[in-house]
Amino acid sequence: MKSIGLFYGSGTVKTSKLAKKIQMAYGEAEVELVAVETAWIDDFKSYKYIILGSSTWFDGELPDYWTELVPALEDLDMKDKKVAIFGLGDQVKYHENFADGVGLLAQLFESVGAQIFGLTSPEGYKYTRSKAYRDGKFLGLVIDVENQSSKTKGRIEEWVKQLKKEFK
Amino acid sequence: MKKYSIKTTEKEILQKWFFLISLGSAIDKKAPDYLLQSLGWSYHAPYSGHDGIQLAIGQVFQRNVDFLFPYYRDMLTALSAGLTVEEILLNGISKATDVASGGRHMSNHFAKPEWNIQNVSSATGNHSSQAVGVARAIKYYGKKAVAISSTGEAATSEGYVYEAINGASREQLPVIFVIQDNGYGISVPKEVQTANRKVAENFVGIKNLKIIYCNGRDVFESMNAMTEAREYAIETGCPVIVQANCVRIGSHSNSDKQTLYRDENELMYTQAADPMGKFRRMLLRYKRFTDEELLKIESDAKKELNEAHRKVIVAPDPDPKTIFDFVVPEPYHPQVYKNGVHSEEGEKKSLVTALNETLLAEFRHNPDTFLWGQDVANKDKGGVFNVTKGMQLEFGTKRIFNAPIAEDYIVATANGMSRFDPKIRIVIEGAQFADYFWPALEQYVDSTHDYWRSNGKFSPNITIRLASGGYIGGGIYHSQNLEGALSTLPGARIVYPSFADDAAGLLRTSIRSAGLTLFMEPKGLYNAVAAGTVVPDDFEVPFGKARIRRAGKDLTIVTYGNTTHLSLEAADMLSDSDGWDVEVIDIRSIIPLDKETIFESVKKTSKVLVVHEDKVMSGFGAELAAIIGTECFHYLDAPIQRVGATFTPVGFSPILEQAILPSKDKIYEAAKTLLQY
Repeated sequence: MKSIGLFYGSGTVKTSKLAKKIQMAYGEAEVELVAVETAWIDDFKSYKYIILGSSTWFDGELPDYWTELVPALEDLDMKDKKVAIFGLGDQVKYHENFADGVGLLAQLFESVGAQIFGLTSPEGYKYTRSKAYRDGKFLGLVIDVENQSSKTKGRIEEWVKQLKKEFK
Repeated sequence: MKKYSIKTTEKEILQKWFFLISLGSAIDKKAPDYLLQSLGWSYHAPYSGHDGIQLAIGQVFQRNVDFLFPYYRDMLTALSAGLTVEEILLNGISKATDVASGGRHMSNHFAKPEWNIQNVSSATGNHSSQAVGVARAIKYYGKKAVAISSTGEAATSEGYVYEAINGASREQLPVIFVIQDNGYGISVPKEVQTANRKVAENFVGIKNLKIIYCNGRDVFESMNAMTEAREYAIETGCPVIVQANCVRIGSHSNSDKQTLYRDENELMYTQAADPMGKFRRMLLRYKRFTDEELLKIESDAKKELNEAHRKVIVAPDPDPKTIFDFVVPEPYHPQVYKNGVHSEEGEKKSLVTALNETLLAEFRHNPDTFLWGQDVANKDKGGVFNVTKGMQLEFGTKRIFNAPIAEDYIVATANGMSRFDPKIRIVIEGAQFADYFWPALEQYVDSTHDYWRSNGKFSPNITIRLASGGYIGGGIYHSQNLEGALSTLPGARIVYPSFADDAAGLLRTSIRSAGLTLFMEPKGLYNAVAAGTVVPDDFEVPFGKARIRRAGKDLTIVTYGNTTHLSLEAADMLSDSDGWDVEVIDIRSIIPLDKETIFESVKKTSKVLVVHEDKVMSGFGAELAAIIGTECFHYLDAPIQRVGATFTPVGFSPILEQAILPSKDKIYEAAKTLLQY
């Protein structure tokens, strides 16, 4: 059993690719990819460390593959869980709800007791509003493949390095 | 506390919802087949992607209590509110038994007036302010109910939607404005409509307004949002916006091709957000239903659709012979003054006094009467011309009140309030001066359609008063006449009295009648001595009954309004100086028109001069001349002549006004030429 479960939408294109890159960067031996479309409560209970991946739909919503799980997740006790989040955003087309999915997932898991790790600096990003932003930090790794794809590799590597220190 | 969730909602309710969504989806998919088979439904706006919010609107709406104004994409809303599949299909393929309109209104305009599901216009969003009007009645009559106005997000770009929300906020009325935001107005993305991504944010600064955001694709979120909205509106009496984020999975309608402007990627993620798929997955995932159970429900829905299809396909088509039914409702028929004349003697009253006293009398006579407009009521002031003087003091601020300077809103709320109960009669001053009425034309046009479009099920019972015409040195926007342009619209009566007694009698008949009446008041005559007459207290004038104001045998002058007096003066001149005997007919009522009185006169005189203050070019005189020319040609000894305003705006300088408007001398000259023909 691997210690880190990385939950993501397996039917997605960009989030899937990102999930696999993070798994590779962290080490396949430690990170298990879990398709959120079929995941259930026990899957979240079985990992000590959890990484969550999400895009942002439309005007700042979680994708359906996450919202379908929300009623179940509300019953979870995540007090002893360390959770990190990554998400996609588009600073040009969706600058008013940039990477909101990251913030929405953070709120959801915090509401059931989880601690959020892997916070990052918003420096280098330009947007109007984001639910991913709180108290000077992004609540996770924010990737913009549309406008800053050249930075994706470095951002992942930095974040994984940080997680390896925090997931202890 | 959220009332509905996948975990706690009773299975029976979930089953009903899944059945409705399956049924709606099946109809949505079948609708284009009717067009392919040339059976109808030529306008179909698929709702797929709006499933959650539409289900919720229909479920939360309480029939015969609330008032629902759906828009053209609201098929699941209508189904969820209780319309049967058969009723949906009958509207789709325009059958005579369509409960919305009997095939008169466009397909995909679902309604059931007897349940308060309103038959609305295709002019997107214009029912928002009608919903405010009905909510005004809900509040006045103390009912625990709401008005629900449903639109797409693009409709909020219309100015009248702002007027509606501003008005509901100011008056604190229980209206739920549901904005179904699918990101597109046909092919136009919403960033072209407004700067805010969430259009509801445009209304954030408006007082007394609650805004609820919800995922309109999600059944539970939508149900909770609509339930909260209704409870809040009833508890507080204040308006609510429910911004429901949706997706448009299909094209705007069957005349649109979305692949021309949406790329494959966008269509793919739009499809992935299909609300029905999500609801189905959740029912399975939370073990509320088995796949077999859901398949059975889906199969039952298809079966119900097929059975309904078999019935509607043989339903009767509309009968072309019925096209003249329900254009205008049957008016009030005067009981005492059946021809609209009297022989009472006594003290003469001015036209403005006659109007004022008639309003006071009718509002005493009928407690379900209301009056509003711009500047019509503040303590002792009653309009710029004092026509409504004293009304607010006597009847109170709830029946007599000022409106914001929003002409469209003034008319729309009258239309909406009429929907509450057919006993209600509303008098509005459509604009302070008739010339300012143009911004309300959209609602006026819509109101002229209502009775016909609803197949006789709803008529806006409104008298629209307009201070019209010139001769006051008012210039542009204070001197014009609208009746020529507005007479081209079927569905309203238009009256234009010239004397105090006729003004009183026609106003009484208008207020007592069902339907829409445009009541033009010649403001130049309000206090004119010549327009003053004796006015019997109970005087009534029937619609469509002209009055011969001067009998004669040599020439017929057909006129109305200000020019009645000028024509009478010209007739006297012709008599005094030339010995001609001229008959002057004041038609009083433009629609309906008393052809009989005109024709009888033409048969006698064989010469006709049509006179009105409006422009000769395309004025109502053109229609009068054409009617007389067509139906009385054999009796005419000379071509029909017309006198009216020049084809220019009306100038402000008295010199210009005189040059533009008809005068006694111009009428005299034209009549003399015609008499000598």
